[in-house]
Amino acid sequence: MAIIPQVGRKKIRVRLLLFSITLFLWLGVFLHLFPVWWTLVTSISPYHEVYKLPPSFFPRHPTLFPYKFLFSAAMQTGVTIRQGERIVTLHFGYSQFYPIWVYLKNSVILTGGIMVFQIPITALVAYSLSKLHSPRWNRILFIFFIGTMLIPYQISLVPSYLLLKNFPFAFRTSSLRGINFLDTYWAVILPGMYSAFNCLLFKGYFDGIPESIIQAARLDGASELGIIRRIILPTSKPVFAVVSYFTFTGAWNSFMWPLIVFKKAKLFPLPVFLYEIQASVSDIKNPEYARYLGGGIPLVMAAGIIQSIPVFIMFIIFREQLMKGIQLRGFK
Amino acid sequence: MAERRELRAVRRWAWYICLPGFIVNFIFGWYPLALGIVVAFQDWPIIGPAKFVGLTHFYNLASDPLFYKTFVNTFYYTALSIGLTFFIPIIVSILLMEMEKRVIRIMMILWFIPMASMSGIIVWKWFYNPYYGLFNGILKILGLPLSQWLNSSRIAMLCLVLPALIMFGPGLIYIASLQSIPSDLYESAELEGASMWQKIWHITLPRLRPVIAMLLLLAIIGNMQVFDQPYVMTGGGPGYATTTVVIYFYNIAFNSLRFGKGAALAFVLFCVIMVLVIIQRKYFRENIDI
Repeated sequence: MAIIPQVGRKKIRVRLLLFSITLFLWLGVFLHLFPVWWTLVTSISPYHEVYKLPPSFFPRHPTLFPYKFLFSAAMQTGVTIRQGERIVTLHFGYSQFYPIWVYLKNSVILTGGIMVFQIPITALVAYSLSKLHSPRWNRILFIFFIGTMLIPYQISLVPSYLLLKNFPFAFRTSSLRGINFLDTYWAVILPGMYSAFNCLLFKGYFDGIPESIIQAARLDGASELGIIRRIILPTSKPVFAVVSYFTFTGAWNSFMWPLIVFKKAKLFPLPVFLYEIQASVSDIKNPEYARYLGGGIPLVMAAGIIQSIPVFIMFIIFREQLMKGIQLRGFK
Repeated sequence: MAERRELRAVRRWAWYICLPGFIVNFIFGWYPLALGIVVAFQDWPIIGPAKFVGLTHFYNLASDPLFYKTFVNTFYYTALSIGLTFFIPIIVSILLMEMEKRVIRIMMILWFIPMASMSGIIVWKWFYNPYYGLFNGILKILGLPLSQWLNSSRIAMLCLVLPALIMFGPGLIYIASLQSIPSDLYESAELEGASMWQKIWHITLPRLRPVIAMLLLLAIIGNMQVFDQPYVMTGGGPGYATTTVVIYFYNIAFNSLRFGKGAALAFVLFCVIMVLVIIQRKYFRENIDI
């Protein structure tokens, strides 16, 4: 309500302008939601409505077969069909899959693990930087804790991989035998235990809490832990909400690092599973076969919907806080 | 004296509570960084200890045509992506502020309804499918010639940028800083007889400048490091048309398991990004709060 003149709103030109802006914005909303809707439609379409050109814009015969297939043991064993005289077993190309429960469980463990460790560890670092350290140490520690954010992540991919393979030596010699964390959940959780970006968000918010409240509590004889519990935590709910949401979506969507550290298909989180299954489904040249394998693309889209549901739920839960949280000082 | 002792206790407590983060950030933040630079000068055979090889990996990269190709691709992608899509959230955010409060709320909620990123990438890949995809479906309905989309080396890169162009939307951070502009600034400007463009040019944009500078920097860094989307949508193909530096790096380091050469490539990318960052910081002489 600022740029368009307040006076003369009734003029036809101003009205037309306002109307076209509104139209443009709703078009953006529509285009943004369209892929979500299209994923949903495809996921409940039978294969013959999907494998044709032009495709159906509405599912004429909706079916839950792709969803049922995702949760069934047929993901692993393949499907046996009779083709004339012969009995054929159909698989997804070269890869082996498990029922989607396995991948859901992996994603929940990895995301949960990262959140459980990262949020308290990062919040404590930020609080100590904001309120507790001496000014001299603060400057050094700030660079130590935030500096890693400014450096492109690829440079530490190879060394992190080597480090997790032979923890904590990284280098391979006959005498230095370390622990191999690859192909365990720790390979993802350990490096995710601290986040410089979230530390900055926390610190920005903690900086806004007046020092005098903490001093007053100290004079009243509150312990340091008591100050965190009774003063810092209750006043910092918005920033915890925003950080939890960011951490959740970041961990839930993370693709490259799990792709690198997990070779066992049983450990894949959902994004890696989605990548693998869409590659396998694209390999099915014959739509007739796709029909039996959960419908082909509908199966992939169903997996996409299942992956999106938790993100959506988190968004609903944190919606209020997120919309408020955009005014957090850390964003300025 | 008692205060002194208390202060010392506080400082000690500060160290206790930041210790877990200190250890994690040291082991998984700084140590790999140092290690990465060392590994770039080493050869890691499949078995046995690593050997120092000096600048060999860098010489090999310098004579590798793919090395230049992937950098050209990455610059092309970054330029295309920033040129076509960077300014969109700024415009949309400014326009969104013209709506009524209630409408802004509804639009924002609809706009920020999230989809898991991999599902978003995969549905776009399906749109582009040359046999059964939506885009060719629309072309067919319109009676136009069908396109190969991601399979065409000429437009594959454009197809990777297109989603951000078509699904335009506001930016959360722009909205936050737009809301912090006091409205009497606009009112007094209007009394002075300022036009719409003058208001945008003289009030809105200067206020957004630091945020724009910061986000431009992050966009450059982010685009130079793009991996997920091209890797899933094209796998770097057709041929090497969309192989970005990070995809090439991934293939060297984690498909061919040549850790040394991979680390050397990552080091070069790191240097290139740093140079771009310095240039950008010089251009926007702004005091950016990170």
